[in-house]
Amino acid sequence: MKKIQLITKILLVAILVAIAFVGIYVQKQNRMENVVKDYTWGMDLTGTRVIELEVSDEKETITKDKDGKVVKEEDKKEDGEYTTEEKEKNPEEVKTLDNYKKSKQILENRLKKLGVNDYIIKLNEETGKIILEIPEDDNTDHTVSNVSQVGKFEIVDSEDTEKVLMDNGDIKLSNVLYNTTTSGTTVYLNIEFNKEGTEKLKNISNEYAKVEDSNDSEEDAEENEENNSDESKDDTEKSEDTKEETKQKEITMQIDGSKMITTSFDEPMENGQIQLSMGQATTERDKINEYIESTTTMATILDTGNMPIEYKVEDNKYTASDITKDMLIKLAIVEAIVAFIGLIVLIIKHKKLGILATIAYIGFIAIYLLLIRYTNVTITLEGLAALAAIYTLNYVCNFKLLNKIKEYDNKERKKAIKDALISFSIKLIPIWILSITFCFINWMPITSFGMAMFWGLALIELYNITITRSFLKG
Amino acid sequence: MKNITTKSKIICAIIVLLIIIGTIVVILKGFKVDIKNRAVQQIEVNIGKSFETQDIKQITNEVFEKNQVLIQKVEVYEDAVSIISDEITDEQKSNLVQKINEKYSTELKAEDITVKDVPNTDIKDIVKPYIIPIVVSTGIILVYIAVRFYKIGIVKSALKYGIVLVVAQLVLFSLMAITRFPIGRFTLPLVLFVYLLSALGITNNLEKKLKEKKLEEETA
Repeated sequence: MKKIQLITKILLVAILVAIAFVGIYVQKQNRMENVVKDYTWGMDLTGTRVIELEVSDEKETITKDKDGKVVKEEDKKEDGEYTTEEKEKNPEEVKTLDNYKKSKQILENRLKKLGVNDYIIKLNEETGKIILEIPEDDNTDHTVSNVSQVGKFEIVDSEDTEKVLMDNGDIKLSNVLYNTTTSGTTVYLNIEFNKEGTEKLKNISNEYAKVEDSNDSEEDAEENEENNSDESKDDTEKSEDTKEETKQKEITMQIDGSKMITTSFDEPMENGQIQLSMGQATTERDKINEYIESTTTMATILDTGNMPIEYKVEDNKYTASDITKDMLIKLAIVEAIVAFIGLIVLIIKHKKLGILATIAYIGFIAIYLLLIRYTNVTITLEGLAALAAIYTLNYVCNFKLLNKIKEYDNKERKKAIKDALISFSIKLIPIWILSITFCFINWMPITSFGMAMFWGLALIELYNITITRSFLKG
Repeated sequence: MKNITTKSKIICAIIVLLIIIGTIVVILKGFKVDIKNRAVQQIEVNIGKSFETQDIKQITNEVFEKNQVLIQKVEVYEDAVSIISDEITDEQKSNLVQKINEKYSTELKAEDITVKDVPNTDIKDIVKPYIIPIVVSTGIILVYIAVRFYKIGIVKSALKYGIVLVVAQLVLFSLMAITRFPIGRFTLPLVLFVYLLSALGITNNLEKKLKEKKLEEETA
């Protein structure tokens, strides 16, 4: 009976090993496909998007009217008299080491806020060139197109864009807000100003207060009802009411010179906050996600401040990791040899029990490899170190188990196993603390290590209490 | 007992010696930084067809001889190659292009391929994300150690634990300095691995001491 049980257990381990190392193949459209989940690899083992950012040497053309006011291309009139001049985007005085370092810091802050949890950033301190390596995923293109924006926020007079009323220096923070009503969800860009900015906003909202027009009051009331949270009206509405436009002063909010909104104020804004509705209220999930993504990017750019230097993307390519599959296989072979030597020592020292512990240990290797696949642990180099650590810890656990059984002279085996497992579990507490702490860190290599350790430690406890114990209890 | 003491003394002496030699090497030569993280030069060759990294490795071995080279496939179709080395001269570039042309029957021109300077990674940037998690978890562990082993002595056990962790890391970095093992991608995984093993080792030792102490108390 015992022999049958033992054979069953060994067969079970053999099946687990086969599933973990070979897989389960089923026929799908005339080909065999492995249905066992694949590993999730980190960027150091797969590849990265490498983005080269060069300090822009481009020049911008500035158009001025006859009064010397800067005029945007879209605002030029056919019969107007204009002069143009060329200006370097990055004059020599801004190309300093301090500004290069500041730009690098801003880029890092933006990446963190955009949820990029693994990146490499290199700065050439002489030329200001920055090389950025980020993981390749669905968000990579979005990150690349936004991360290097200058992010120069300005509130200007809509008639005189050179009159800057507020800028990045007045912003305390910027984030995304949502409001869901029966008509759908509206996404807002919330800009909170600092003490100085709040005072400025109060003065501006007084100065640029909406001029009441009896003809328009009804229309305005309707409009305010619809969009009272941002206390503004947008450009399209403005054009419909040209009479009002001629009467009142308006402000324009712009990022990197691109107009975001032109508005006036209903009442003085004393709380130091502006909420801009981004798009219209909608119930479509895709649309909402699109608004959230673009608003989050805008909030991130505003929140991290403007780059002192304008960068241009010089190169943007996917580069595969230099750690190839062959190298990983070689590494696995080395680990297997080390494990083999360790298990031989176990067998020589503990004979039959050593063989049983070895079979159980092989089963542990297989289950752990399956577990990290199904718990979605991203494997980075740190994750591989965790794997090696878990196999080492389990070996030590098995070694101590066998020593304890020997200590009890093979009598009261169950008690020996129980004592050894309790004693080993207590010794693992500091490692549990480290693993759990690492699981909460938003940095992929650390999370990878923490998660791989967490599941590994949980498996050591459970596997040895159940499987290893059943092999050794006799 | 005498044997154990002698063994411990020998181990201590080896550790101290390793740390001293390691420190001297660091002072004189510094750490060696891996090719991925030091300032290097890079060229990118668009072969336009699939290739084996091993074949490119053979070519770079001939062109760059003993200089260390890093080869990476570029782009989704992996038909271009990035070659990184400490310095890439015009002659090496020409040789490389010529050999690639011979091997893959391409008509690449050396003058169309530019050598780019790749800046180094600031080691501080690599280490920075690990500081808070390690400090926080070590802090919590030390509190646990102090509570668990208060019978041995709160300060004594926590101090012993801390010293072992630090010494284990010093030994690791000394070995890296002596063997000229490069500092880079593999350093932090190794640091964490050593941290775990040293943590297990010292916890095991303290548990033994606690057991002895309890036995002493019981017999007294």
